[in-house]
Amino acid sequence: MRILRSVAGGVCALLMAIPAAAQQPSVAGRVKTVTGEAVIVRAGITMPAKVGHELFESDHVRTGSDGRVGLTLQDDTRVSVGPKSEVRLETFRYAPAEGNLALALRFVQGAAVYVSGKIAKLAPDAVRLETPSAIVGVRGTTVAVQVGEQ
Amino acid sequence: MSQVFSAPRSGAKRHCTSEAEPPASWVRGAASLVLLRRGCLLLLGAAIATGCASAAPPRTPQAGPPKSGTPDLVVLLRDPGTGAVGRAVVSNPQGQVNLQAMREATRVGAGAAPSQPVVLSEREVERVFGPALDGLPAAARHFTLYFKFESEQLTDESRRLVQEVLQEVMSRPVPDVIAVGHTDTTGQARANVQLGLRRANAVRTILVMAGLTSAAVQVASHGEAEPLVPTADNVFEPRNRRVEITVR
Repeated sequence: MRILRSVAGGVCALLMAIPAAAQQPSVAGRVKTVTGEAVIVRAGITMPAKVGHELFESDHVRTGSDGRVGLTLQDDTRVSVGPKSEVRLETFRYAPAEGNLALALRFVQGAAVYVSGKIAKLAPDAVRLETPSAIVGVRGTTVAVQVGEQ
Repeated sequence: MSQVFSAPRSGAKRHCTSEAEPPASWVRGAASLVLLRRGCLLLLGAAIATGCASAAPPRTPQAGPPKSGTPDLVVLLRDPGTGAVGRAVVSNPQGQVNLQAMREATRVGAGAAPSQPVVLSEREVERVFGPALDGLPAAARHFTLYFKFESEQLTDESRRLVQEVLQEVMSRPVPDVIAVGHTDTTGQARANVQLGLRRANAVRTILVMAGLTSAAVQVASHGEAEPLVPTADNVFEPRNRRVEITVR
């Protein structure tokens, strides 16, 4: 009985948590260009990247040897990912009215280019580009990163 | 330098004799040395690569975490639209360098400070980043349309600008449009939020009539809270009666 009750309690807690969680993910950006083989990995699920797809915080973008992908985020930031490459949108918060701004991109593999948007303009310290060996801070600029060999 | 690489060399030799544990990481390490274009290291790297190539398994085409030993490359480029060159600070626990000139670059490996910046040639940037740069989406464009007093009717001048907005929107394969309505400070703040929203919706209607799906146009209103020209309350100011449009 006790077990049943605790299971029921757990289910209730889960059900209550769903609406809150469902509101959380807001669209961070969109896939604007795709060439060749390219996928988005979201919560462990891999799906082909298509032009027009929405992008969310924590998404990985990964390309094959002939693939490349261009993304535009809600704050006008642009990211393009070259062949055999992987970039993760670690953090994206864009609510200028509340002063809630954050962008973190992790360059996992290959070549990619970042072109700054409004977050970099409004709060330069809120932008963080991470490579396996360093962190790049930007001041309104375009930065290209290569990780590993092509 | 010879000190740094003596350990990998002996390690690589050990790997070469053991089929069980192929030296893929050292092949990659050797490839990175080639990139460094330093004569002695290039020879050493080539020796390791050819010596061990037969034992190395085919590399998986999937991107994965890079093997240690290959330094990351960070390059400052100019903004493809404005041509402006900003600044980037590359840091890790071992050190920090500033990049502030076009094509200035640093290489940084695990456990080592970022290298002193060098300026890469245009060709080198194109070789490494050409495909990525080709895939860059068009930059966002911003427009401001102005409205008549207390109205969601466009001024005559802005009516002419609508065509340009439409052209920009239609030139993009998957356009996103954000229309944010604003008002001057005449009238109640709450009513002005509504007026701003009517103005933003008027812009949305124009775009949807032109063929855009309504989902592709987000509307919002900031009422009188974000004037282009700051004024006291209850001030007529045509420049504040506007919808700011972002096309991306």
